[in-house]
Amino acid sequence: MLDTRVAQSAIDHAIALGADFAEVFVERNQVNNIATLSSQVRDIASGIDFGVGVRVVYGTNVLYGYTNRTDQEELKRIVSELAAKDRRDPATTSQAFDFRLAPDVHGAERTLAQDAEVGDKVAYLVAADRAARTASNLISQTQGACLQRQQGVEIFNSEGLHIRDTRHYVRASLRAVASNGSEQATGSRNDGGLQGWEIVEALDPAECGAEAARQALVNLSAKPCPSGRMPVVIGNGFGGVIFHEACGHLLETTSVAKQASVFHDQLGEMIATPVVNAVDDGTLVREWGSINIDDEGMATERTQLIKDGKLVNFLADRVGAAQTGLPRTGSGRRQSYQYAPASRMRNTFIEPGDDSFDDMIASIDRGLFASHMGGGSVQPGTGEFNFAVVEGYYVEDGRVRHPVKAATLISTGPDVLRRISMVGRDFALAAGMCGSVSGAVPTTVGQATLKVDDILVGGNA
Amino acid sequence: MSANGIETNARRVLDRVANARAVGDLVVREAASLSLKAHAGQLEEHKVTSTRVYGVRVVKDDRAGIAYSEADDDAALDSMVDQALVNAKFARVDPNEGVAPGDTALATNDATLSPTDPTPVEAKIDTALTIERELTARDKVRNLPYNGVQDTTATRYVFSTTGRTARSRSRVCSVHAYALASDAGKDALEGVQWHGRRFDDIDTEWIIEETHRRCLAMLDGEAIPSRHYDVLFDAEHQADLFAVFADMFSAKTARDGINPLRDKVGEHVAVEALTVRDAPLDTDGLRYALFDDEGLPTATTNLIDAGVLKTLVHNSATASHFDVPNTGNAERSPRSALGVGLHQLEVAPGGVAETTLTSGEYLEIVDLAGLHSGANTVSGDFSFGAAGFLCRDGQRLRPVRNITVAGNFYDMLNKIDAIGDTLHWNPERSSLMARIRFADVAISG
Repeated sequence: MLDTRVAQSAIDHAIALGADFAEVFVERNQVNNIATLSSQVRDIASGIDFGVGVRVVYGTNVLYGYTNRTDQEELKRIVSELAAKDRRDPATTSQAFDFRLAPDVHGAERTLAQDAEVGDKVAYLVAADRAARTASNLISQTQGACLQRQQGVEIFNSEGLHIRDTRHYVRASLRAVASNGSEQATGSRNDGGLQGWEIVEALDPAECGAEAARQALVNLSAKPCPSGRMPVVIGNGFGGVIFHEACGHLLETTSVAKQASVFHDQLGEMIATPVVNAVDDGTLVREWGSINIDDEGMATERTQLIKDGKLVNFLADRVGAAQTGLPRTGSGRRQSYQYAPASRMRNTFIEPGDDSFDDMIASIDRGLFASHMGGGSVQPGTGEFNFAVVEGYYVEDGRVRHPVKAATLISTGPDVLRRISMVGRDFALAAGMCGSVSGAVPTTVGQATLKVDDILVGGNA
Repeated sequence: MSANGIETNARRVLDRVANARAVGDLVVREAASLSLKAHAGQLEEHKVTSTRVYGVRVVKDDRAGIAYSEADDDAALDSMVDQALVNAKFARVDPNEGVAPGDTALATNDATLSPTDPTPVEAKIDTALTIERELTARDKVRNLPYNGVQDTTATRYVFSTTGRTARSRSRVCSVHAYALASDAGKDALEGVQWHGRRFDDIDTEWIIEETHRRCLAMLDGEAIPSRHYDVLFDAEHQADLFAVFADMFSAKTARDGINPLRDKVGEHVAVEALTVRDAPLDTDGLRYALFDDEGLPTATTNLIDAGVLKTLVHNSATASHFDVPNTGNAERSPRSALGVGLHQLEVAPGGVAETTLTSGEYLEIVDLAGLHSGANTVSGDFSFGAAGFLCRDGQRLRPVRNITVAGNFYDMLNKIDAIGDTLHWNPERSSLMARIRFADVAISG
């Protein structure tokens, strides 16, 4: 994608200005997004993102620039401007490039470069819409989306790395709106993977539409949620977003190195109950958060984060590793050429346990079953988080009672890890997007259904 | 690339659209920015960027298609147009979406919106380092995990096959600093942000002092008993709350059947004290807009007048669909389809004096978390993490954190107790609002 001589010239220039490390990241990102409204196409957008990011490192100080241009003069201009304050006599020499193609273990078949398959995708979304409307005449609207993306990256660095990789992403989703004339409520279903449009062979549009409609109808009948501290059973799959946000981000060297994570000095210590085992794994075949290589060119890996409640590892990128002395974990990721890489999660999950859902519910006098979680946010410095419950049920006297709406879970990562008392067997993964210092990257969250003994529930009952 | 180069490319793109017997418009966005972050006395991030992206929208046989490109060689631009034409073939038939007639040429004043100042890059670096160094030296401050200094100049262009052109260049300088303070096992992460058009307007000392003050003030925060309280949001978070539910004013979501106010134009949707308008031509705001993303001139639009919903905001397509006047609120990035959006939202003064507004007990909210994940814009339900101060008669009694604020925003508009007599910009200077006292809001602690 970029003339090797241009990349070499930019890197040599940075090294000549005294940089310890220099890197050129080239990206060509092809995108096709289809949006439907009920049974009609609302928008189809396609395009090409193309740019070059230049990273210049002095010690652990990162200087970063990017441009849409590919000429040598522009890249050298950016390097000169970045190094204006730090330039010094050369401290090292750059190595000649040794080209490699990243081995692809995911094997996309129906790729965007071959064919956007717009007709097929529209047919899928229309079938899902039909299924949602068949579920109830209270379904007043659906919004479908099918996103496909082919990201080609090429990475050069001053240590002689020259590697190319291609990532294929696809997502399909449907949101249903239920209305009874005076109130509206929504439900949704999302699927995605690190693969091509062949994902459709494993998807059933009828199931997608029915699930979105079911959740919308449940929420339409929901009552205001009681508030206060109470035990909460969190559903499998996307329920893992709480671990991702409240704990996973605190295990990235991005926050650990700055001592902005409450866990920064707790390696080897018990930070969770012994039933908690947590992993961040970039190698799962065709999972949404997987990668062949990270955005620094390192092969990805499986990283055990918590073992039997003990913190055993952090997630480290190149600079984070240099700052903390920890080993790199193939976790250097970025949204695009517009971001310097940072330590980021991939497929992050709590491993399954041996408890049953019925036992969890039976153990609760007054509490909440958050069967489907939505998004949330966390303050890494304090670990305080909040998450929306998009489908929840009030639990009383050991039985699931009625659906509740507008519930939010509030706690801190360290606190919730110490209050997980039961972990179920129904392990599942779910795709999402994670936003942080290096932009929004595809990540998977996951867990089996689990019980937190005490958590603050926000509601408006 | 010069403006002439962009105009040449625009002509090429629109000629190709016209040659395909279609109409269309082209949005071009250029930006050049400097971004700095400091950590442990050194620059943690020093980012220099320059970008340009073209986005074309074509309409052929009453079907619209879009495509974009970050490459601007002839082949890339031709391919972009061809892809948009292919996409249009699959789009629904919509006789309302077209290209608004007219060949006006609009341009903003660079001296006003993009002023230059003599600040060299070294001084900007010093600003970032000084804020980090001085704040981390303050009492109880552990570090400054979130901080940054940005200087961005952005230019947007609109061209259409009817001959319409529009160009606006604007500059925004900004600083944010959020410090982590600790004391006796308690942590607080608080801070401020500042936005303006000139770098030499930045008051570094205020940023340091105010960030420190806010951290110390929140350190001893604790939850309060769960019940309903009167609530006042600070200027930043009141604007955020309205922004989260901005789709309530969107004619596009109304056309799509997901705006609960779609049939409420002309009806009371709020208490009589509430008047809300969109004011794109207020040059004090940083979201000033002389034209919208169809290149059409903007104007002040009364949205809610004395509690009555007067209009939704429209682009040319939604105005045609509903057969009402276009309000000049088209919103379209190079990568997106034609939509609508607010420019600068204003909540008009309600005439209630500050002492009355803050009489008795109320909760002052100064932080909200989970703004997007915790809100359902269709139903109006929300539940956010929050922090603030329990107050009485204008005095802060004690800091409050680890609480949630929950309710239904559309219902809250009818539970407004009072609206103040003073206007406040939010830190981003995108909204100008009098403060609202909401009655009877559910707080969980």
